[in-house]
Amino acid sequence: MSLTAPTRSYVAPAGVDAAALVAALAERLDVAADQPTTGEATVLDTADRRLRDAGLELRLGTGRSAGRLTLRDHPGAPPLAAEVPPEATRFLAPDLPAGPLRDRLAPVIEDRALLPLVRLRVEVRPLRVLDDEGKTVVRVAVATSTALGLPPSVPDTAPLAAMGPLDEPEHSDGPVDMRPELDVAGVLGYPKPLARLTTLLADDLALSESNAGLADEAVAALGGDPRGLRSKVEVHLHPAERADEAAVTVLTELAGMVEANLPGALADLDTEFVHDLRVAVRRSRSVLREMKATFPPEPLARHREGLKWIQTVTGDVRDLDVQLLDWDGLAERVAPDRRAAMAPVRTLLAERRGAALTQLRRDLGSDRFNDVWVGYRLFLAGDLGPEDDRPAAATPIGKVAGRRIRKVYDRMLAMGGAIDDASPPEALHELRKRGKELRYLLELFGVLWPADVVKPMVKTLKRLQDVLGLHQDRAVQIAHLGSLAPDLAVVPDGPDALLSLGALIDRLAAEQHEARADFAERFAAFAAKDQQRLVHRTFRMPA
Amino acid sequence: MKIVATYNIKGGVGKTSAAVNVAALGAESGLRTLLWDLDPQGSASYLFRVKPKVKGGGRKLVRGRTEIVDLLRGSDVEGLDLLPADFSYRHMDLALDEAGKPTRRLGKVLAPIEQHYDLAVLDCPPSISLVTESVFDVTDLLLVPLIPSTLTMRTYEQLDGFVSGDEVAHPPAVLAFFSMVDGRKRLHRQVVESFPRDRDDVARTAIPAATEVELMGLRRRPVVVDAPHSRAGRAYRDLWGEVRQRLGV
Repeated sequence: MSLTAPTRSYVAPAGVDAAALVAALAERLDVAADQPTTGEATVLDTADRRLRDAGLELRLGTGRSAGRLTLRDHPGAPPLAAEVPPEATRFLAPDLPAGPLRDRLAPVIEDRALLPLVRLRVEVRPLRVLDDEGKTVVRVAVATSTALGLPPSVPDTAPLAAMGPLDEPEHSDGPVDMRPELDVAGVLGYPKPLARLTTLLADDLALSESNAGLADEAVAALGGDPRGLRSKVEVHLHPAERADEAAVTVLTELAGMVEANLPGALADLDTEFVHDLRVAVRRSRSVLREMKATFPPEPLARHREGLKWIQTVTGDVRDLDVQLLDWDGLAERVAPDRRAAMAPVRTLLAERRGAALTQLRRDLGSDRFNDVWVGYRLFLAGDLGPEDDRPAAATPIGKVAGRRIRKVYDRMLAMGGAIDDASPPEALHELRKRGKELRYLLELFGVLWPADVVKPMVKTLKRLQDVLGLHQDRAVQIAHLGSLAPDLAVVPDGPDALLSLGALIDRLAAEQHEARADFAERFAAFAAKDQQRLVHRTFRMPA
Repeated sequence: MKIVATYNIKGGVGKTSAAVNVAALGAESGLRTLLWDLDPQGSASYLFRVKPKVKGGGRKLVRGRTEIVDLLRGSDVEGLDLLPADFSYRHMDLALDEAGKPTRRLGKVLAPIEQHYDLAVLDCPPSISLVTESVFDVTDLLLVPLIPSTLTMRTYEQLDGFVSGDEVAHPPAVLAFFSMVDGRKRLHRQVVESFPRDRDDVARTAIPAATEVELMGLRRRPVVVDAPHSRAGRAYRDLWGEVRQRLGV
């Protein structure tokens, strides 16, 4: 049962201004114009534009509307609103007030923060379509937005002095006028006038229905990238391309991802910035390792060491994030009557995470980071030198990458085949590391081969990696949580928390054991004879 | 959902004016508000330019044979919907009587939309009947307009006695207020001043007799929308403040 009348949103064609739209409506309908209003609003989205991708637009009012969030959903759905503290501009799902708006957004944004995307000044001309009695039967709002500016891409709090030669995109100062938008809201009990108006807007006035708003256009007009942060590498590679050039293309893209995530990681805007930064670094390390024959050995060793250091100094924050993000899931593993006693564990994890973040900021703001990163960027941008010590440099990337995929796959077959019940946990961990190498090769260079082979292979590999990952994650969690014991013992309620922690660790150990039991079946699928034949047949130099 | 009803056994005392203005102020406060025009004269429906017509009439409505959602109409005030009047409401007593458990019937009619509104305002017809008993049963606060006269106190105490008597199973709280007060008339001044003001069932606010209120019928908009800063507009706002406080919304 719905007691809300449908709504529709439209965007005017280029060249049509708001006054012309209002005049066109007044010509065709009995309309009453109410007092226009002008206000400022900030469009919010996650750094990777999840709301836009889900067809949503979220605005945060400023000035007199400060603290008012308004969410536009799919066509026909009524807008949702919520009040938040007027000074707040960054929201994780738990920061939003309980209610329909949070219920709608939480599964979309997950652990990402809603952040300012673009500031707009919006002039709204409210109109009411009237019936013969002079009653309002449809409400119309003609909005003219002016894009005022993009929020600073580098938060003021970030100690980025060391970041010298980063490529900051050129931003326009604005303001830039946008095309008018038109929001139509039906009135309960009057569906026919709404239907008539929507037909008129589409047929007579050639307006296109759109719920995404003009945020993308506004961002682009101001010189920003409407796509937001991406974690998927999208480069054009040709199988015959030189391997060193192809590797540099991929690595340059990955370096851009590191830099794009760095400010958010330093400002701790949400946990995914550190995660995505680490993924980009890990992939870069993988490319450097797998394509080592295309690079000069000496600088290569130095840069691999540098990237490894970045990976290490960001590791503690990520490990603690994983524990804290999964806290509810962890607590559920303890008997209900013991969960309350777990509170000191969480407090301790949060304290350690705070300390780890401080250290991360120190490390990524240090001269050493500057040296590592600037040196690495210059390495990618510069001449790689003579090919004497780079035997695969001029070899086609299709050949080099195919060979590496086959090699790593075969290596995994050997490693996995040797694992039995007596094997130490480290054997599974080493296999998982190899699996990551293979996955990155497939993700970064798989574009050179048919997707109908690469995608199922990634899927089979992912199933294996999931079980290996679970095994390793539980090992890390057990070690991590176990390390809290000495600190817990001396806090109030610590002994009680220790008992619960013990129960939790037992449960995690059991899950680790179960993951190991699943390994054989997953590995068998990965190592099946037809899979082996497929890998060796496919990952040759593409035609 | 909190329910307020404007009621007086007499007509022409400002029930509908109070109902439409209180409902408009409820919506303005951000409460999802419903105004149910129970008076077959349909004055509240007329004021909001909604046809006083209910498909299937009052009989089907109280028997639960009409989807109440299909009868609701959005008003010109955002956040305020109307359940319109119908001339057949003049026989609602009979319909309630036939339906069984008559005093519970209006509550059952509202039950399907209870979760969708924060406030319902019932504009009652001037009578004492099964309809009003059913209204009393479902209402949280009975808002009683009183025109100052020598019989005001007597009328009010009769009503109060009935509401709190045995015949009403779930008696509502009562809040009386002076309506159409003409400050130029000595009698009005005397009655208002002599009415015990320390009683918590009498509002501090009095609604003045004002041109703006009379013009509502012409302009077909609540005073609080049409002339929010007028004396009457301010008075209704104060009255709403007292209502809101008592309802805890």
